[in-house]
Amino acid sequence: MTDLRPPHRATGVPGARLGATTRRSVLGVGLGLGALAALSACTPTDTDPLTDGPPVNGGVLTYFEPQTWTLLYPPSVGFYPNGGIMNNISARLLWQDPETLELFPWLATALPEISADATQFTFTLRQGVTYSDGSPLTAANVAKNFDLFGRGDESRTLPVSEQISNYDRAEVLDDRRVRFHFTAPSPGFAQATSTMNAGLLADSTLDLDAEGFGPGSATKIHTAGPFRITAETIGTKLSIRAREDYDWAPPHLEHQGRPYLDGIDYLVNNEYSVRIGAVLSGQADGVRDVQAPDEPRVTEQGLRLYAKATNGINNSINFRFRHPLLADIRVRRALIAAIDRQEIVDKLFTPNYPLATGLLAQGAMGYTDQTGAWVYDPAAANRLLDEAGWAERGAGGYRVKDGQVLALTVNTALPQPRSNEVQTLVQQQLRRVGVRLSINPGDQAKQTLDALDLDSIQIYHSMVARADYDNLRSNYASVNRDVFLNAVGRDDAADDTVDPEIDRLLDALASEPETERRQAAAEAVQTYLVDQAYVLPFFEEPQVFAFRRRVRGFTTEPVGRPDFYSTWIAS
Amino acid sequence: MMIDVRYLWLRLGQAVLVLLLAFTAAFVLLSVIPGDGVTARFADPALGLSADQVAAIRAETGADEPLLTRYLITLGGFLTGNFGFSVQTGAAVSTIVAAALPSTLALAVSGFLTAVVLGVLIAVFATFGPTTGPRAWVRRVLDSVPSLFISIPVFWLGILLIQVFSFQLGLVSVVSPGPAEALVLPTLTVAVPLSAPIAQVLIRSITEVKAAGFVKVTAAKGASELWILVHAVARNALLPGLTIVGLIFGELVAGAVVTETVFGRNGIGQITAQAVTNRDNPILLAVVVLATLGYVVINLIVDLLYPVVDVRLRRGRTAASARGLRRPSQAASQAAPQTMTRQRTPDDRTKQALAASASSVGVDLDWGTDDHGTRKARP
Repeated sequence: MTDLRPPHRATGVPGARLGATTRRSVLGVGLGLGALAALSACTPTDTDPLTDGPPVNGGVLTYFEPQTWTLLYPPSVGFYPNGGIMNNISARLLWQDPETLELFPWLATALPEISADATQFTFTLRQGVTYSDGSPLTAANVAKNFDLFGRGDESRTLPVSEQISNYDRAEVLDDRRVRFHFTAPSPGFAQATSTMNAGLLADSTLDLDAEGFGPGSATKIHTAGPFRITAETIGTKLSIRAREDYDWAPPHLEHQGRPYLDGIDYLVNNEYSVRIGAVLSGQADGVRDVQAPDEPRVTEQGLRLYAKATNGINNSINFRFRHPLLADIRVRRALIAAIDRQEIVDKLFTPNYPLATGLLAQGAMGYTDQTGAWVYDPAAANRLLDEAGWAERGAGGYRVKDGQVLALTVNTALPQPRSNEVQTLVQQQLRRVGVRLSINPGDQAKQTLDALDLDSIQIYHSMVARADYDNLRSNYASVNRDVFLNAVGRDDAADDTVDPEIDRLLDALASEPETERRQAAAEAVQTYLVDQAYVLPFFEEPQVFAFRRRVRGFTTEPVGRPDFYSTWIAS
Repeated sequence: MMIDVRYLWLRLGQAVLVLLLAFTAAFVLLSVIPGDGVTARFADPALGLSADQVAAIRAETGADEPLLTRYLITLGGFLTGNFGFSVQTGAAVSTIVAAALPSTLALAVSGFLTAVVLGVLIAVFATFGPTTGPRAWVRRVLDSVPSLFISIPVFWLGILLIQVFSFQLGLVSVVSPGPAEALVLPTLTVAVPLSAPIAQVLIRSITEVKAAGFVKVTAAKGASELWILVHAVARNALLPGLTIVGLIFGELVAGAVVTETVFGRNGIGQITAQAVTNRDNPILLAVVVLATLGYVVINLIVDLLYPVVDVRLRRGRTAASARGLRRPSQAASQAAPQTMTRQRTPDDRTKQALAASASSVGVDLDWGTDDHGTRKARP
């Protein structure tokens, strides 16, 4: 979409504003898409009072998503539209504070008893909790949940949760207590039980296959959260409504009992201008995924803008060092020195996208300040490339060595904000030092498939969010997302190019039960990745929402998914 | 009226063949595209699955079977009404398509009818009224409307309509519209580009028929312009219009993809757009077969309608002459031979009939006739 910023940000006088708008509207109609900016800009401003009063019950919130949900199987709800639903319908054993990232009891009566080597976790369950189909929460049911999430079931194409590692089995101690056993230390498990990816399901739901968790069956998903799914129109709308009998909010929260809202209608529209227009014109209450250029327009119209931190790995590019062109650390350092991150953030984003100061966001667990590790210095970049043997220039001014051009390809990270624009700027910056960067075109499926091949993608643009130390492992380990393609046995790279140190450091992190030592292990991983010039982080990626003024008390869970439990609508 | 049964069977056989070919072509083409939906979904970094886990799921879903085996399994499924499961969501394809179909049908029917009405109106007013004088500009403007309409991008029109009628004027809600309310803007979006070919073809054929001798004769007898249009021109000019109506169905499907995406309607178009992004081949196959079926059925209906509309295309002599008497051109042609065989072109008949009737009122119609028998207006 083109730049949709309002065309008259400077005019302050109401009369002048109206005149300008009319003239511009007339012009705009002839000027194609420019018309949209002008027309939308003259929708009435939201002037509802901003004063907060005591929360009131009632009202159904309408909320726009860019894509339809695909699967409500908890381990698969990392996809934003799925997570926005699952986070509100499900209850978990523990609750994680989005600000402090501290864990609190929710459906468990207390934090779990953890064995010294972090291979056994014992939870005691709260009583009187029921699922939306009326069945009670029992120890056997909780065990059944984690047996599925921890092991997956390939025969039903239900994958294992990436957040639960080394899972062995669940043991029902009595009707209120359940113990989880692990084959190796799994210190991240307590936090894993607090995420929406561990949202507990009723027994009837646990027996569903992948089809049962997909579109068309949403009303069969039974959970224990403050809302339950009541109606579904495939592909366009999902309605969740408050459970009047919900009485098991996390005990330390001030708000107890039923949610303030009567419900939420999730609406889907792929067309960005329609979603943002619906909220600006007051037809809808809220929208996720407000793009950076639209932020001023949204606030000017009087709406509330929420940029919620996702507390995970920063929006970064990862250099796949196993490719021959990137094997030399001097080349990687040169690329880092040639890229002006400040320019990217200033030109394409707003202050809601802070420049990265480490591999992790400042609010993330395990954050290490690495300011100064990535200095923009094109002269140094040129010098490093010359030293690395890329002194010769070929056609178009690109560097050549032994007849080979220094040409690399980066993927387009479609779920990430303005990935294509970011890479276009990087492309220009690298061109100045004689490095050719191609941006891989294509839809999500093509990006996913190409990213699995070292010959197609050598620089991988991505981010991932989970509020635990294990986030580092999820992203960099060769058995998880493997952003470097660092696993042995690949067809496109010799095994001796594997860097075993990365997995060794991540394994040390994953098996460290003590929090202080986990912090140290996390720092060791980050220091190594930075020293080796494997990663260049750009910015801390937020989730940006816009809501009408009458919507109060909007919050998100630790990685930026909406949490509507305490949201209310002022009448 | 009589329908040739043998002809019908032949056409039905053709339709089945076309469906099979479309299915096979789509299957082969979708298989040739590198990467498939299973990998696209489960190798997605958002799931964080290892290569081994993905391989296990691939084996479980049968994605690694040989091409021919998969083809036969899928074909067998289609023949027994089992369209398989969406790779992206795991939901049954039949569920997804059944949920999307009514919305698309409603949009297609209303968009199509609106397009026909719009096309006919444009064509009528572009060929009606004075060709010279102060009001001639109306005709000139309307004459260029089809070119304008066909050039309007559907997505642009859709977004513009929403911006103006929903966000600015607040006439239509995009959030929770009633069933009729939800149809108004999408219908307009679909109908405008669709009406262009209809109007264009009708304008040409009306102009052509109007220049025909029998029309001049009728006018010479004192018939008003409107009477001529309704009684003499309309039926003759309809046939090319009918043909184009059958052909624009394809455009209707293409328009639905964009319209449904812009308006957030869950229809065949929207699920197609999503299936393409996710390499969801089972859904795409079902959509291709469904669209082919629609195309085949509509064109079959159009073909069967030809004889109903135009007596010249009927086989039986009785029906032809009985209906033919109602037409002014033929009512006036008592002298013309009644042997209306299929070998003789309509133009020959018209020519003869008009020559006879014209000479009876003392007018010499010296019209030009080219090799194909197309009539030309006298300068």
